[in-house]
Amino acid sequence: MSAFLARNRLIVLAYAGMVVLLLVTALFSPGFLSISNMRSTVVLAAFVGIVALGQTVVIIGGGIDLSVPWVLNSAAIVMALLCGGQDLPLVWVMPLLLAGGALIGLVNGVGVAQFGVPPIIMTLATNVILQGLILVLTGGSPTPSAPALIQFLSVGRIGGFPVIALIWLALTLAATLLLSKAAFGRHLYALGTSATVAEFSGVPTARTTILTYVISGLTAAFAGMLLTGYSGQAYLGMGDAYLFTSIAAVAIGGASILGGSGHYLGTVAGAMVLTILTGLLPALNLSSGALLVVYGAVILLTVSIGSETFSGLGGKLRGKAN
Amino acid sequence: MDLVTVNGLSKRYGGIVALSEATFSASAGEVHALLGENGAGKSTFIQILSGAVQHDGGSILVEGQDYRTANPDAAQARGIAAVFQELSLIPDLTVEQNIWFRHEPKTLLRTVNRAEMRRKTLALLDKYNFPTLRPDQELRRLTLAERQIVEIAKGLAKDPRILILDEATSALPAREAEWLLKLTRQLAAEGRLVIFISHRMAEVRAIADRLTIFRNGSTIAVHEANAVSDNEIVTQMIGRHLDRLYPERIATATDRIALSVKEFSSGSRLSGVDFALREGEVLGVGGLQGHGQRELFQSLFGATKASGTIELWGKPVSINNPRQALTGRDGIALVPEDRRGQGLLLTKSVRENLTLSVIGRFTEHGLLSRRKEADLVKEMVDFLRIKAGTPEQLAGTLSGGNQQKVIFGKMLLTQARVLLLYDPTRGVDVGTKGEIFQLMRELAAKGYAILFHSSDMPELVHVADRVLVMRNGRVAATLEGDRISEADILRAAMLESEAA
Repeated sequence: MSAFLARNRLIVLAYAGMVVLLLVTALFSPGFLSISNMRSTVVLAAFVGIVALGQTVVIIGGGIDLSVPWVLNSAAIVMALLCGGQDLPLVWVMPLLLAGGALIGLVNGVGVAQFGVPPIIMTLATNVILQGLILVLTGGSPTPSAPALIQFLSVGRIGGFPVIALIWLALTLAATLLLSKAAFGRHLYALGTSATVAEFSGVPTARTTILTYVISGLTAAFAGMLLTGYSGQAYLGMGDAYLFTSIAAVAIGGASILGGSGHYLGTVAGAMVLTILTGLLPALNLSSGALLVVYGAVILLTVSIGSETFSGLGGKLRGKAN
Repeated sequence: MDLVTVNGLSKRYGGIVALSEATFSASAGEVHALLGENGAGKSTFIQILSGAVQHDGGSILVEGQDYRTANPDAAQARGIAAVFQELSLIPDLTVEQNIWFRHEPKTLLRTVNRAEMRRKTLALLDKYNFPTLRPDQELRRLTLAERQIVEIAKGLAKDPRILILDEATSALPAREAEWLLKLTRQLAAEGRLVIFISHRMAEVRAIADRLTIFRNGSTIAVHEANAVSDNEIVTQMIGRHLDRLYPERIATATDRIALSVKEFSSGSRLSGVDFALREGEVLGVGGLQGHGQRELFQSLFGATKASGTIELWGKPVSINNPRQALTGRDGIALVPEDRRGQGLLLTKSVRENLTLSVIGRFTEHGLLSRRKEADLVKEMVDFLRIKAGTPEQLAGTLSGGNQQKVIFGKMLLTQARVLLLYDPTRGVDVGTKGEIFQLMRELAAKGYAILFHSSDMPELVHVADRVLVMRNGRVAATLEGDRISEADILRAAMLESEAA
């Protein structure tokens, strides 16, 4: 057990931070811990969490995905357009758009793994291209409202539990299996730690890299459709907030931004922390500007905690490798 | 008077004692060798001396004054510079930019004075007769050996009174290593103190005036170099009597060809190599460094593109990447040159490193079985006698010899029976070296086929069944039986290339 704690110190810290933040928020805003409020907090966190799933996998592998805002936004808008407010088309629209998200991920992955484009450039370019395409497609006009079924997935409940929380739980389980229990996970951590060592060890580095971006494309597209259900309709710019929050959730969750470490279980805590913060700050009567300042400060704080342990470890390696 | 006097020096890392009550003294104009197995405390000692690490207890006097530095800059201000085996250079900078890094000559406007930097670089290279280095070459284009030479230049650029050379020759081919030994004597003659660490006994004997032996973090003995035998030194280093470094060479080669290579070429460094490696054979690859050995090993493993034909166990194969090379029992595995950069995930556990190449083998219905993995890891740790607290210990915290054993374990788990060993004993302590040679012979006896390169020529002479001598990207000679000697290898490596 203590070995588990030592190895996953940063993840445990993220959860501890989450609990402290919850209590502090409850102090300022007594109703915060109520069932209904917790419910809506989890729902909001789920969107961050689902986008950040793909981001976690990409970052562990040593990359970064800056295309999530417009993959998300594109899926949202195209879904609304294709369904025209009807449930039935979802049967083919959802698989189609998930495949679309995966395809964007494939393009990102192939660009990074096969053509050696730096991940920041590659995914930033995809993001801008998608943004342009969507603007052309919609001409800026509003889209039809979201189908009822997708609204049920985002805001409905089963036995008192928000449906999206159950979806998030299932995805968390799947991500945990993928990272901890599948050969892919082992390959991924090796790749993020040292691409050269991974290559020399026979790890399928290109395939693994590509797969990370495919997963990220999938989760961003999925989140986009769910978010449309939550908002009632799709609109331009709805994904923008998720660029920062998806990366921040991963960093708060204890992953090294340089790759090779971290876990989705940490990211889940990170998504919660970010969402609780957005609940706390209005209670403190802070403006949305101040909110961004505190957001940034929290990221800086957590990342510096992470880098302290990182350099501490580095010191150990240097000292003992005799 | 002594230039450096160290008393009762101690250093702990958490619960691990790296140095306890170590003593040391040396004077100006001396070459002083530091000997000990990996983990004996040598590295910690020189890290303290060079300001990279602070000591917990004890005293250091430099020129009679108390010495305790916060960082390498402060150490340099007191005239101490160190050349480490882990290279501290920046790949994107040129040779001269690396040499003068953070100490660049400045113009009146505080910008880098390039002309002055070039002049000082050439003067430095000339004064110490450096092997060919171009000041404007980008570092990433240099070989490991050339980088090591840049590292030495960087140390000398600080004009230190005390220069520490940590395994500086281990990455150097024979001719450059010889230059470094001459350089060391020259530096001592200039009145500097050179503290010299090497695992090669012959070098130590050739240049050291005195030697200090470390074991388990303490000073065991100080000798005048000419008053002590190799045997005494080794016995004091390992604390027991080492019977012999090289195992008996029993011929186990069969007639079956494990690896056959024809017309094998890669870039300008490898031009038409032909040879056959037999089952049960240890085939040495020698020659002067830079004559295609690295390219041969990397190409066979699929890490570098090459043309020509390869047959494994009689079947033609095409190997385009390491993954294809490592396919099961008919595969081909490599112990790479750069242990830290190519071989090991330093921040991951011994377990994760060992099973990385074969992790797919532990999955049932797509899920890993930790128990199956743990069983095999334990088997391998026991078989190779890897000294780690638990399999969960991070690979980067192991000693060099144990790190190398982990890489061997990873390679053996792939079940490949053609093994490429590129300088597997570099920077490994003498005890582990013996174990590695023993292991090689055991594997050969089991029918493995081993291609073995070493930058330390006596190893080839004593371990290999046959030796291929490479020159200009080709096999210049194949030596067998009594013809395997250092003189014969050198002759084949050099003679005709000088005639040409």
